[in-house]
Amino acid sequence: MTPASIDDLLAGLQAAGYHADRRLATAAFLALRLQRPLLLEGEPGVGKTELAKSLAQVLGRELLRLQCYDGLEHRDALYEWNYAAQLLHMRAVEGRESVDEIEREVYQPRYLIRRPLLQALQAPAPGAVLLVDEVDRADEPFEAFLLEYLGEYQVSIPEIGTVRAVVPPVTILTSNRTRDLHDAVKRRCLYHWLDYPDRERELAIVRSRVPGLADSLARQVADFVSRLRSQPFADAFQRVPGIAESVEWARALVALDTLALDPEVVTGTAGILFKQREDVAALTHERATELLRPEPA
Amino acid sequence: MQLGDARTGKMADNLVAFGRALRRAGVPVDSARIALAGEAATLVDVGRRGDLQAALESTLVSRAQDREVFVELFDTFFRDPDVAAKLLAQMLPSAEAPGERSKQRPRVREALAPAKAPALAATKSDDDRVELDAAMTASEELRLRHADFNALGADEYRLVERLARALPLAMPEVASRRTGAAGRGTRPHWARTLRDAGRSGGELVRLIERRRRRQRLPLLVLVDVSGSMERYARLLLAFLHAATRGLRRDVFAFGTHLTDLTPAFKLADTDAMLEAAGRAIDDFAGGTRLGESLAALHRAHGRRLVGGRTLVLLVTDGLDTGEPEVLARELDWLRLHSRRVLWLNPLLRFDGYQPLARGAAVLHRQAHGMLAVHNLARLEELAAAIAAVMQR
Repeated sequence: MTPASIDDLLAGLQAAGYHADRRLATAAFLALRLQRPLLLEGEPGVGKTELAKSLAQVLGRELLRLQCYDGLEHRDALYEWNYAAQLLHMRAVEGRESVDEIEREVYQPRYLIRRPLLQALQAPAPGAVLLVDEVDRADEPFEAFLLEYLGEYQVSIPEIGTVRAVVPPVTILTSNRTRDLHDAVKRRCLYHWLDYPDRERELAIVRSRVPGLADSLARQVADFVSRLRSQPFADAFQRVPGIAESVEWARALVALDTLALDPEVVTGTAGILFKQREDVAALTHERATELLRPEPA
Repeated sequence: MQLGDARTGKMADNLVAFGRALRRAGVPVDSARIALAGEAATLVDVGRRGDLQAALESTLVSRAQDREVFVELFDTFFRDPDVAAKLLAQMLPSAEAPGERSKQRPRVREALAPAKAPALAATKSDDDRVELDAAMTASEELRLRHADFNALGADEYRLVERLARALPLAMPEVASRRTGAAGRGTRPHWARTLRDAGRSGGELVRLIERRRRRQRLPLLVLVDVSGSMERYARLLLAFLHAATRGLRRDVFAFGTHLTDLTPAFKLADTDAMLEAAGRAIDDFAGGTRLGESLAALHRAHGRRLVGGRTLVLLVTDGLDTGEPEVLARELDWLRLHSRRVLWLNPLLRFDGYQPLARGAAVLHRQAHGMLAVHNLARLEELAAAIAAVMQR
């Protein structure tokens, strides 16, 4: 189940529909072998979250996902007590048991509501893949809370004690770099910067993700998007499209029975490539024509 | 055994040297990381240069901005991918290879060069300065033009320290999304309530509630370092550095272009910060292109702004030489992505000041408030003035 080599992992990911380059596969392979969390940074839509999903598939492990947001607290990430059940228990034994006994009983693991982090630690063999998504959205106290988990694969619950991982979960953290993460978090992780794919890889992704896409149109889509991301075109836009957008775009083109790209089609579907009003407006007819013109050799 | 095999021990030596070189180039690498890199190197085929590079990169690099330095250093350090027999010889540092210099960035070059004796740092007398002046090059001249940026005089330093102690900029607080237990709140704090009830034999004696915690607003400071601001920029930077210690803050200087001072502001000592800032700013006492600088901020750091929470302090006299349309557009964006944009204007020292300059007119129209910062009294009032603008 665990890949024996980088090539194994590459092939496995490919079979799962994820076309990774060798650098990324190496980083992921090392994360598995060294049992270290892997921190993925990169622009939105380059496939950070997808990697975790595909890894779970390759390894045959359950994927647990923790979406981070501002104000995320440990009771959303780790555990919460089932207060209603605890209350009922207290009511039921009222007067018959001593205060100490009641306290001991209501703080039993069976009254624990497990959230992703605890679930990941307690997942039976072969273990889980834990995705801590967009960790840069959480605030600093939450980052500090993560340290124990990232470093030791364990967490402390005051009423129960320390919970250690049965099998260390494969942990993937993603960040869009809206802010720099604390060094303490980074020191515990392997790091990989995920770039936009090159043209060939994008072509492979679009082809495998969009059924019924004609070969020539797939090529055109990959060419167009990769030129769009290249200088000086990229400077004209606030955010260039990621892989997710090019896949979505190709799907739309298939749905529209498009045979080949032309400036009208491009400007008409710009809302799929870009999610900002200014960027949609910046993809003018002239610019689309220029982008579609064959590259000078 | 293969040449260059990680188990020969040669690799370990090379890794340590490589780690040290990275550190000299400013990439934070500690010995635990180097050990981890060594472990990673045993897991990949060191004969495949790309794999080794990826393995070392994922273990030794942890910030996007360090990647290019890493790649260049790696290229120089571990040259020649194909011939395994050559590997050992090639793994030796080859910093002095002629013809390669121009392609490397100065940081990499310096990191690979033998460490210099810390002669300059040890004897920092005026005599040394004169010696440096004698061999003045264009870049030296540039350095000296903002040499006064490097350190505060003893009097100034005491002043800044005193000011910052006397008036730590009490940044306004807002309700965060985190909650904590409170006597009176908005919803029940079940965990506390239950623990409380457990202590009294399961009887719910009192309901403890939770309330949103307060948090201080993150700060974005933009300081104009153009010629007209020369007198204020340094002292204001020193003051802001001391007064906003411990807050989340991003700091940029702008003149003809934008300079990120956040790394400099991470230094604890105010003098060290000024020295680093002086090194970073290469357009000190030049012109002002506020609109273009904001556009650069928008492009490169736009997503660092915590939408709706960031408090922007824009320190400038508004004597802008750029296009007002660009300035208006970028200010508009800044307004949309922050809580308040405050214009700290030293020109308010003149009675009857009117924002008539083109840039100043735009700033006056777009900023949420204009505050004076030209003398001590005004600095002392700053915190209160900010609080007042926040209330509006």
